[in-house]
Amino acid sequence: MAAKKLRRARLSQELCERLSRHQITTCQDFLCLSLLDLMKVTGQSYGNVQKLLCKVSLACAPKMQTAYEMKVRRAVNPSSAFLSTSLHGLDKVLHGGVPCGSLTEITSPPGCGKTQFCIMMSVLATLPISMGGLNGAVIYIDTESAFSAERLVEIAGNRFPAYFDSDEKLFSMTCSVYLYRELTCGSVLKRIKSLEEEIISKKVKLIIIDSVASVVRKEFDTKLQGNLTERSNFLARGASLLKYLAEEFSIPVILTNQITTRLSNGPAIQADLVSPADDLSLSEGASGGRKRESGCVTAALGNTWSHSVNTRLILQYHDLPTRQIRVAKSPVAPFSTFFYTIEKSGFVLQDAAPKTTLPTKTALLGQVL
Amino acid sequence: MQRDVGSLPLAPALRARLVAAGFQTAQEVLETGPCGLSKEIGISKEEALEALQVVRQECHSDATRTAGAPGTSRKCTALELLEQEQAQGFIITFCSALDNVLGGGVQLTKITEICGAPGVGKTQLCMQLAVDVQIPECFGGLAGEAVFIDTEGSFMVDRVVDIAAACVQHCQLIAEAHQEEDHLKALETFSLESILSHIYYFRCRDYTELLAEVYLLPDFLSEHSKVRLVVIDGIAFPFRHDFEDLSLRTRLLNGLAQQLIIIANDHKAAVVLTNQMTTRIGQSQSTLVPALGESWGHAATVRLIFHWDNNQRLATLYKSPSQKESTIPYHITPHGFRDVQPPAVTQNPEGTEMNPRKRLRREEEK
Repeated sequence: MAAKKLRRARLSQELCERLSRHQITTCQDFLCLSLLDLMKVTGQSYGNVQKLLCKVSLACAPKMQTAYEMKVRRAVNPSSAFLSTSLHGLDKVLHGGVPCGSLTEITSPPGCGKTQFCIMMSVLATLPISMGGLNGAVIYIDTESAFSAERLVEIAGNRFPAYFDSDEKLFSMTCSVYLYRELTCGSVLKRIKSLEEEIISKKVKLIIIDSVASVVRKEFDTKLQGNLTERSNFLARGASLLKYLAEEFSIPVILTNQITTRLSNGPAIQADLVSPADDLSLSEGASGGRKRESGCVTAALGNTWSHSVNTRLILQYHDLPTRQIRVAKSPVAPFSTFFYTIEKSGFVLQDAAPKTTLPTKTALLGQVL
Repeated sequence: MQRDVGSLPLAPALRARLVAAGFQTAQEVLETGPCGLSKEIGISKEEALEALQVVRQECHSDATRTAGAPGTSRKCTALELLEQEQAQGFIITFCSALDNVLGGGVQLTKITEICGAPGVGKTQLCMQLAVDVQIPECFGGLAGEAVFIDTEGSFMVDRVVDIAAACVQHCQLIAEAHQEEDHLKALETFSLESILSHIYYFRCRDYTELLAEVYLLPDFLSEHSKVRLVVIDGIAFPFRHDFEDLSLRTRLLNGLAQQLIIIANDHKAAVVLTNQMTTRIGQSQSTLVPALGESWGHAATVRLIFHWDNNQRLATLYKSPSQKESTIPYHITPHGFRDVQPPAVTQNPEGTEMNPRKRLRREEEK
């Protein structure tokens, strides 16, 4: 929208030529100038320039919809609003599952099961709508080379034995998972930019990026000057591109993240400003005093990234082999915790009753790190 | 009439020619007439006529302004302002502690900014306000409509449905308790469907769309004159990436702030913006501060900062021209934005979970 050429905004030909002599060719350039600059550049009077501004704004402004229209549209197609995770308790709390049209992040210490979760979701997305899937293809961008096709087939065969009863079904499922191995930030961004056409041609219904943190932290060392802003720029650009794709096609986007330790080197860590959405140590029973000494464990990639994702699920160790999955940030769900183990068929929830108020306190900080 | 030619809103080239030809005041231009003007400066008769019409209109509006015509004049005494402010309504937030801290609720004709860490409840409050502005007048609301400009994609229709349903239920309980004619009549039009139909939603993907939308907003508000709330959820998001030229960003933000102040005043609407927090790296420590820089802090009249204390959400009134700085706790429930319930709640004949003080205020207003 911003790069829309002024010609298409229905300005007259000679005006466009005059503006292009001043290097103003897109709507973005036009709207960034002040009124006086515009008067100078177009040579028109104040009233005329205001009319021109209105015309150009009409060309780029978004369309209005009422909340009622949005609700009706969702009601018409209820199954397409969420991708069920097949974990019943989690789905109930999230009002259906992983929401379509927004970014969902899975964060955990290493080895808790992020890649397993992603592989499980890939299988689920290819299932027909009657079984809770989205009946579409999956784009899996792998930056750690952790994806295993054998595991994909194993989960599918064990989780839905009735459906995947023949080799052809398994084969067609694997044909709909498109794997891309990207090892640098630049190539990841390039891949995301190219996704728009692929989504339409391959009928993609789920995008997974595993993992964002590993490739970003490899390339950007935040202790070096200037890297912090470059990193934030890259993340923000990636986030807005993914949000655009998610909303435009109404599909879920799943990203994985790592954890980091935010060391406190002064008395003012402002621990109260770190929200429970970021703070993993809350469930590890860390008292206020201990936080100050050892620093707090939070999701990586910084504060700005936390603003960009809409839903955040945190996986953590509990009493091995049990682990816990926590809903840490969600516009529709309160903080809740569920326990699971990783079996042949993927994730299996343990308890029937989730804990929906404060996060549980288990002391496993030493074991985790 | 004695207005200098250089200050007239004509095309710059035309102005330059008038000044070069020796014209100094608007009166001289008007006296010359179109034919004389076209000969002297060397423009066509049609252009001269157009220029004269612009000048005439400018002088006319200048004259009415100096004569003190009530429509165009913007000056008034402080007593008139006081009466206006006292008669003005507030948009309640359903959290009586927050309403008290704000002096009644979110004020009309002012810009209120809500800053906070991710996940603390900024969008929840915005959705709550978009529903609350529509409460009918007999229940103590403004019976207005809302414009919701979303830049982050965090608006969830299902959540608004929950909040609106809880609000309608609350009003129904009040109506049952008081059994008055106008309450029941208002409830007929105050339904889930009507609430959702009066929230006008715009999704802006980048700052150009946001700028375009804010330029078009005055026309939209003139068409939909009942709008009393404009929410921009995420004023920071489109301006925080891809901006190499920080001075351009500051200029655009200042321009936006000015336009929003004009919109708030002209249309008697409240403008609510949400901002993100960013980490400022100091010498020995890092703190979380509102994003978009120091100069943006001047744009909003009222500033609220939402933050965490262990597991309790807190709201601090950080900047306000009339209220004291204070911090209160709040809750996000399935019904929306609410107070933290104290352990012993006073006896409540209606038996709802709402704070009893809220009911009292509504009775006083009637």
